[in-house]
Amino acid sequence: MSFDVLFNQFMSGIARAALLFLVASGLSLTFGVLRVLNFAHGSLYMLGAFLTYSIWKFLLMPSLGFYMATLLASLIMAGIGLLIEFFLLRRIYSRGWPEQLLATYALILIITDIVKWGWGGEFLSIPRPEPFTGAVSLFGFPFPSYNFFIILLGLALVVFLWWLVYKTRLGDIIRAAASDREMVSALGIPIPWLFTWIFVLGAFIAGMSGAVAAPFGAIRLGMDVEIIIECFAVVVIGGMGSLPGTLLGAFIIGEVYSFGIMFKPELALAFIFIVMAIVLIIRPWGIFGRPER
Amino acid sequence: METNHTEEKSSLIKRFWWLALLLIAAVVAPFVISEFYLAIFGEALIMSLLALSFNLLFGYMGQLSFGQAAFYGISGYTVAMLITKVHFNFWLSIAAGIIVAAFLGLIIGIFCVRLRGIYFSILTIAFGQLIYFVVYKWHDFTGGDDGIQGVYPPELLNSPVNYYFFILIVFILSAFLMWRIVNSPFGITLKSMRENSERTEFLGISIFRYQLLAFIIAAAFAGLAGALWAPFYRSMAPSALFWVKSAEPVNAAILGGPFLFFGPIFGMFIMTFFHAWVLAYTVFWAFIMGVLILVVIFFLPGGMLGFAQGKLNDRRENKNLRAEDQSPIGDKNTKTPTF
Repeated sequence: MSFDVLFNQFMSGIARAALLFLVASGLSLTFGVLRVLNFAHGSLYMLGAFLTYSIWKFLLMPSLGFYMATLLASLIMAGIGLLIEFFLLRRIYSRGWPEQLLATYALILIITDIVKWGWGGEFLSIPRPEPFTGAVSLFGFPFPSYNFFIILLGLALVVFLWWLVYKTRLGDIIRAAASDREMVSALGIPIPWLFTWIFVLGAFIAGMSGAVAAPFGAIRLGMDVEIIIECFAVVVIGGMGSLPGTLLGAFIIGEVYSFGIMFKPELALAFIFIVMAIVLIIRPWGIFGRPER
Repeated sequence: METNHTEEKSSLIKRFWWLALLLIAAVVAPFVISEFYLAIFGEALIMSLLALSFNLLFGYMGQLSFGQAAFYGISGYTVAMLITKVHFNFWLSIAAGIIVAAFLGLIIGIFCVRLRGIYFSILTIAFGQLIYFVVYKWHDFTGGDDGIQGVYPPELLNSPVNYYFFILIVFILSAFLMWRIVNSPFGITLKSMRENSERTEFLGISIFRYQLLAFIIAAAFAGLAGALWAPFYRSMAPSALFWVKSAEPVNAAILGGPFLFFGPIFGMFIMTFFHAWVLAYTVFWAFIMGVLILVVIFFLPGGMLGFAQGKLNDRRENKNLRAEDQSPIGDKNTKTPTF
């Protein structure tokens, strides 16, 4: 096993980690503030991918159209997130977590059928946009340059979220609300308003990650329930609601998968859940998380 | 106490007369309804066992397991493989399926019951998915996504009507057993852990041991459901272990009412029959199901049966202001359903 093979595998792992981070960061952000584990986050991601496909097709511009479609689809998803929070979640914050979890599970069922109704059951795909169509050579191995786009976008999101959470006034409120909601409310900060915007931001991120995942693989039904459990693995390993935790979790899962494929392709996905189970057994609240209450 | 005993008996009859009616309906069903709906009936009975297994953990113990499909599937696969590959005895295969599921429950339970709340749910998903991927990808052993076909029951149970009666008998026996379990001191201890685990622990009760035992029992019941399913459907596919399958008993319990013994069974029957009926008109079954779940969560907290029971109790109390039923375990019927 030479160094360049390992490096190539490592880089694929990073690309996968970047995509996982894109999806999971929205999930983690929502959980951190709202304390609702959004089962339907993967469905928002799927809907984002399908919307991107339709807008891209409508625009008739192979490359530029993709970026415009990505932006538009993310904005539409943010709007859908607004509706979901306002008409659904807002009404059940006072209930127990099982009901909140199941309400978002019901959304999975509803969105699945909306996608089935709107796009049918076939596989769709979008070609990679310029200038990321080709491959670059890494130590003699071809490495899709679109992976670099995903990695760059992932890094941009890390920086943006870090800036948002640690450098802005909204970030102060987010962190305060994550640790003591009542206290923040007592200070006169409108918590329902905060929850709405955080959920909208989470939905926007879900839509955007679905959009950029579209040229990565096939756009199809079922991509929602597959990604959401992997995202659970990411946020659970890192610690639910923690930004650095999500980053570390995505890195671990991406690399475990990538090297798992090299050693035993059939069991690569099983390795993810072994790692997740080990972390949950040793540190149930995750590496960067803190114990509940 | 002697006279009390007979009184208690007559109140039991008063309370469960509808159960006798349902039983008669279930026995008459094969001679009245079409073979298609008989198959749906059988499926509903099998899935109700899975729902009961889930609800032992959720409704009674207060832990939401999202991994019951793993035990259901692994047992179904055990039965299917024993019958098709080594032509093992049918009855022993079923027993083997249950034992494998219970053993898996022991191993997974040791890790899961240490956790609470959402972390418990997620760890059960993780283990469930782990087993799913092993079954799905181990093509040489399990047949991978081809699944296993040709799982035939013995001659005696080959006709749909006979297999239906077999399911019905097993269902009644196991539902009765589950009823005894949840009303035993063991079951009441589980409930006390749901209400206040700290206090229960102060009484000197090992939460770990009780919850592990409940987890194993639930796994065995899920295993029984899977063992009945494989010869019923004549095949097994890996989708039986996917986490989405684990959501079915969860939905059934929420729809029917997790704080009533019959709630999850009611929910599962509604789901199964509604599914069969709706599919004749539209393929968008999941959409309707999602809306139904939301409606129940928003407007009927405590589930359909729980809501109806609550209303019924209110009316009865208003009518003759008499004290609720005598049985000390009757509290689960009068408890205002909350999560």
